[in-house]
Amino acid sequence: MEDGDFLADDFLRQLIDVGEADILVGLPTHNNARSVGAIVHTIRDGILRGFPRERTVIINADGGSRDGTPELITSLSISDMRPASNVYALRTLHAISTKYASTPQSGVALRTILAAAELLRAKACIVISPESEGITSEWISSLIRPVYYEGFDLVSPTYHRHKFDGLLTTNLLYPMVRALYGARIREAYMSEFGFSARLGSQFLDRNQWSDETGENGTELRLMLAAVTGGFRICQSFLGKKDPVERRAADLVPTLRQSVGVLFSALESDFDVWSTISGSKEVPTTGKDPELLLEPLRVNRKRLREMFVKGVSELGSVFQSILSPSTLAELNRIAGLGEEEFRYPAELWVRTVYEFAAAHQKSVINRDHIIQSLAPLFRGRVFTFIVENRSSSANDVAKNIEGLCLEFERLKPHLLEVWKSKE
Amino acid sequence: MREMIISELSQAVHDLARGFAHYLPRLIVMLVIVFAGWLIAYVIKVILRSILRLAKFDRLAENAGASQLLSKAALPSAMEMLSRFVFWLTWLGFLLLGVSVLGILGLQEQTARFFLFLPRLFAAVLILFFGLLAAGFSARAALLAAVNANIPSPRLLSLAVRSIIMVFVLSVVFEELGLAEQTMLVAFGIAFGALMLGLAIAFGIGGRDLARRFLEEKFVRVKKEKDEDELSPL
Amino acid sequence: MNSNKDGLWYKDAIIYQVHVRTFHDSNGDGIGDFLGLEQKLDYLEELGISAIWLMPFAPSPLRDDGYDIADYNSVHPSYGTLEHFRKVLDSAHQRGIRVIIEMVLNHTSDQHPWFQEARSSQNNPRRDWYVWSDTDTRYNDTRIIFLDTEKSNWAWDPTSKSFYWHRFFSHQPDLNYDNPAVREQMWDVMKFWLEMGVDGFRLDAVPYLVEREGTTCENLQETHNILKEFRRKLDQHFPGRMLLAEANQWPADLRPYFGDSDEFHMAFHFPLMPRMFMGLKLEDRKPITEILQQTPEIPPSCQWSLFLRNHDELTLEMVTDIERDYMYDMYAQDRTMRLNLGIRRRLAPLLNNDRRRIELMNAMLMSLPGTPIIYYGDEIGMGDNISLGDRNGVRTPMQWSGGWNAGFSTADPEKLYAPIIHDPVYGYPAVNVVAQRESEHSLFHWMRRLIAVRKSSAVFGRGSIEFLYPANHRILAYWRRLGNETILIVNNLSSAAQAVELDLGRYKGNVLIEMFGNNLFPRVRDLPYLLTLGPYQAYWFRLRRV
Repeated sequence: MEDGDFLADDFLRQLIDVGEADILVGLPTHNNARSVGAIVHTIRDGILRGFPRERTVIINADGGSRDGTPELITSLSISDMRPASNVYALRTLHAISTKYASTPQSGVALRTILAAAELLRAKACIVISPESEGITSEWISSLIRPVYYEGFDLVSPTYHRHKFDGLLTTNLLYPMVRALYGARIREAYMSEFGFSARLGSQFLDRNQWSDETGENGTELRLMLAAVTGGFRICQSFLGKKDPVERRAADLVPTLRQSVGVLFSALESDFDVWSTISGSKEVPTTGKDPELLLEPLRVNRKRLREMFVKGVSELGSVFQSILSPSTLAELNRIAGLGEEEFRYPAELWVRTVYEFAAAHQKSVINRDHIIQSLAPLFRGRVFTFIVENRSSSANDVAKNIEGLCLEFERLKPHLLEVWKSKE
Repeated sequence: MREMIISELSQAVHDLARGFAHYLPRLIVMLVIVFAGWLIAYVIKVILRSILRLAKFDRLAENAGASQLLSKAALPSAMEMLSRFVFWLTWLGFLLLGVSVLGILGLQEQTARFFLFLPRLFAAVLILFFGLLAAGFSARAALLAAVNANIPSPRLLSLAVRSIIMVFVLSVVFEELGLAEQTMLVAFGIAFGALMLGLAIAFGIGGRDLARRFLEEKFVRVKKEKDEDELSPL
Repeated sequence: MNSNKDGLWYKDAIIYQVHVRTFHDSNGDGIGDFLGLEQKLDYLEELGISAIWLMPFAPSPLRDDGYDIADYNSVHPSYGTLEHFRKVLDSAHQRGIRVIIEMVLNHTSDQHPWFQEARSSQNNPRRDWYVWSDTDTRYNDTRIIFLDTEKSNWAWDPTSKSFYWHRFFSHQPDLNYDNPAVREQMWDVMKFWLEMGVDGFRLDAVPYLVEREGTTCENLQETHNILKEFRRKLDQHFPGRMLLAEANQWPADLRPYFGDSDEFHMAFHFPLMPRMFMGLKLEDRKPITEILQQTPEIPPSCQWSLFLRNHDELTLEMVTDIERDYMYDMYAQDRTMRLNLGIRRRLAPLLNNDRRRIELMNAMLMSLPGTPIIYYGDEIGMGDNISLGDRNGVRTPMQWSGGWNAGFSTADPEKLYAPIIHDPVYGYPAVNVVAQRESEHSLFHWMRRLIAVRKSSAVFGRGSIEFLYPANHRILAYWRRLGNETILIVNNLSSAAQAVELDLGRYKGNVLIEMFGNNLFPRVRDLPYLLTLGPYQAYWFRLRRV
C-alpha cells in the first residue's frame, strides 16, 4: 500500500503497538512547545471525561520542531510504564509522534494523520490546531460526538469570535463556498475539525497528493470533498476563539492556502457547483455562535493606503484579470478620499468572481493572481470595518448575510466570465 | 562585314543556347526544388500550428508578455508569427538549396554559411523568447511582492528587475549571433556593475531603514510595531 | 503428613475450593456428603491439586450457605458425621492432599445455643458474648456489606428488647471479641479441629472482629492483636498449619494482616481478580499491572492467594465507580446478575464459554505470584443458574456424567438440594467429567496439563515477579525468578493475533524453552525479541543458557 512507504518505519512500528483505535486525535505541530503542553492536557482531560472506555491515540505529526515539542507530547501518554503518573484512566492512552519533514507542510501533516487513522481503523478522528490556546475539554467532546455517536462525516467548528476576526472567512471563503457549493459552513477554513473513517479513507485515496504534496490548505480541500461527495456534514459549537497573532506579511501565504486552494478546487469541481443554486443550512449543535464586540486595535488608514497603492501600481496586472468595467470602478473608488471611500459588496463580489475565472484560465501565473488580490482584500476589510464599527452583533450578522446573498445573486456572473474566452 | 556580324551573332546565340542548355536542366531542378520546398514548408507550418495549439502555446506567450508586445506592434499572434517564421525559414532554405544547384560559385559559399548560421539563429530566438518570459515573470513577481510588502516605488523596482534581465538576455543573444560580442559583453558588464553599485549605495545609505526593517523581520522576533494591527484573516 | 521440608507447603499448593453439599451424594438423599467426597478424591488426585478448601459444613440453619454456624464442633447431619469427616481427612492425606476448612470467627447463627442463651435475658452469663445496644445509632460510620438485603448493622431482638450488632445478615449476630471468654472459646474450637488433623483454616470475615466508636469498625488494631494471639498459639502448638485471611480490602489495608510474619500466612488478593477480567475486556494490561505495582511487599513466609471466581459474587467493591460501571456493562448487562456490588456468575458464563479466554485466565491464575484456587466445576467449565436466588446460582451440583442426576446422586431429581443445570450449552449432558475424560483436548485435560506444568517448577509459587512493559499494551509479560531459575510469561489479552517485541537484553545468549511442549525457541540476541501470539494465547518460557 502506498501509505506504507509514506510513513516512517519507526512510526509504523508505533502504530503496530497501538493496534487499533476508536478515536484518533491528530495534532500537527512545528515549534509549538509554548502552547502544546496545556493543549495536550486539555485533550487528555476531554477524552477521559467524555470517552473513558474508548481506545484513543494522539498522533503528533511534527514538521521538524527544534524546541522539544514532540517529546512534550509523547511524555503525556497514560500507560503502566510510568506508575508515578497520578492521572486515573481505565485504559492506556497513547501519544505518539512522527517527524514527517524538516519544514512544516500542513498538507503532508494531514496526510500523515489520515494514513494513521486508516491503518488504526479509527472510527472518529479530530484534528486540533496547536495554536488554539483557548481550547477547553468540551471542545473535544463537541467535535467527536457527532461523528462517533451520530454518524456525521465532517464536523466543522463554530466559535464566539470577534466581529473583526477572520474577515477573509466572513468576506470571501464563507460566502463563496456557500454560494457556489450550496452549503452554509461558517468556518470554511477549519483549524480544528472532526471527520469519520469513511471520509478520511476516501479523501486519502482520491486526493492527488503527488501534485500538491506539502501544499498548505488541504483542510479546505477536505471540506470541499465532503460537500461534493455527499457526506453528512454538521457544525458544532466549540467556544470562544481568541484571535491568533499574525503579521501583515502573512496575508499573502494565507491567501495562497485558502483562496488559492479554493480557486483550484473550483476547476475540478465545476460540474458540481455550476448546477447548484441557492444554499442550505447545515445541521448545527451546541450554542449559536456570537460575534464579540470588544474593541480591537486596527490600523484603518494603512489598509486603505495599501488598497490605493495596489490599484495604482498593479494596473497592468489587473488588466489581464478583471473586466474593464470592474477595473474602471476600482480606479474610481481608489480616487475617493478616506471619508467617502467604500468598497461596496457588489463590486467586491464581482472582483472575486473575476479573479476566480482568471485563475482558472491562468491568464497570468496563478500565484501572481492570488498575490494581486491582497491589496484589494485590504480595501474590502477597510470598508467592512467602517461599516460595522459601532454595529451590534445582530447588525454585523445581517451585513454578513447580505454579503452572502450578494454572492449567491451574482453567481450567474461568475458562470458567464468562467465560460467566456474559452 | 555582314557575314562577320551574322557569324558573331550566331556565335553569341550559339553560346547563349549552350549556356541555356547547360543551365536549363539545373534551372528546372531548381524550380522543382523551390516548388517542393514551398509545399514542404507549408505542410510543416500547418503541423507546427497544430502542435502549438495543442501545447497551448498561446497561453505561454501571453504569460511571457510576448502577446502584448506583438499586439502593441499590430502584429499577428505569437503562434502565427512562429509558424510563419518557420515557413519562411524552411522555404528560404529550399530556395537557397535550389540556387546552389545552379552552380553559381559565390552563391554556394553564401548558402553554406547561411546554413551554418541557422542553428545559432534558432538558439538566439529561443533565448530571446524565454528571456522575455523570465523578464516578464520576474518583473511581475517583484511588482507584487513590493506592493504587498509596502515597499515604496514598486513599479520602479519592477522595471529595474525587467531591465536587468533583458539586458542580460540581449547580451547573451548577441553573443550567440556573433554580433559585436565583445562590445555587448563589455557594455553589459559596465551597465550591470554600475547598476549593482548604485543599488548597493542606495540600499546601504538611503535604504538604511528599509534594510533594518527587512533584516529584523527575517531574523528577529520583534514585538508588533505601532502601525501593525491585530486582525487575523482566517 | 503434617511434616514438611520448610513448613511453607502453602506456597506450592494448588487449592480446590469445594462445598461438600455440591460434590457427590453417597446415600441418595439428594445432598452431597463426606463419604461421597471421599469417593471422588481419586478425581482430585488425577486433576493434580494439592489441597482442598471445604466450605462450612457445621450444623447450621443454612440461611447463609453454612456461614451461619449453630455448633462449632460438629458436622451437619446432612453431610454425615464427624467420623465421616475424619475418613475424608485421612484419605486425603494419604493421597498427599491437604485439607483446609472454614472457621467463621466473626459471628454465629442466631440459632446457636450461645446466642439463644445470650438473648434470653440481659443478665445471662453469655450476654456479653455478643454486642448489644439500647439504640441503633452506635458505630454510625460503619458501612453495610449486604446492601441488597440489610438496611442497618443493628437488628432488634424482641426477646431481650435491645439491638444486637451484625455485619452480615441479621440472623448472624457478631461475637464480642472484647470478651476474653469468647477469644478463649474460639481458640478451643480451632484446637478441636487442629487436633483432628486439619491443615489450615480460612478465617472468614476477619476485618470485622472488633468495633470501636468513631471508626469504620474494620481493620482495627485490636482486631490484629487478637489475630496475632491466635497465630502465636498456632505456631506454638501446631507448627506447619496455615491461616488464610478473608479480608476484602485494598492491598495497602491488607498488608497489616500479614503482620511481621506473626499474623496470617495467606490472604486473598481481592483487588486483582476483577482487574483481570477488566484487562481482558479492555484488551489492555494496564489495570492488572497497576494493581500489582500498588501491591505492597509481604514477608517472605507469607503468600497471596489468587482466584478467578468463588462461591460469592465477583465482587466489585475494590474498584472505582468508572471501573464498576464498565464491569457491569461488559459482564452483567442483565441486572439480575448483579448482587451486592458484584456479579454472580461462574467463570465460563462470564467469559461467554469462550474456551480460549477460559484458558488464558487460568494460565494467568497459575503464573501470577500467589497460590491459585480453583473453584469446583470451573475445571470442566460448568455454567450457572441465575434463577436460583442470592449466590446459589454458582453452587449447583457437580456434573460427573451425562446420566442420572449427572452422576451426582441416585435420588429423585426433585429431592436434590438444588436443580442440576441442564441447558444445551452448560447442561450436564454437554459438560461433565466423564465426557471430558474421553476427549483428548477437553478443558479438564488442559487444566491437568496446566497444573502439572505449574508444579514442575517452584518458581511459580515462590518466585519474584518483574513486569516487562512492551509498547504493545495488549501484551502482559513478566519475569518469574527464583534463585537461578528464570521463567518468562507472555500473555495476549487481545482477541486478535498480536506481534510484540520484548526487551530481553539481560538474558542475551539464553535459549527459550516453551514449557508445555518443551520445544526450543530462538536464542535471545541484541535486537528486541519478536514474538507473535494467537488470540488469547499465553506463552510460558523457561530460560536456559547452554
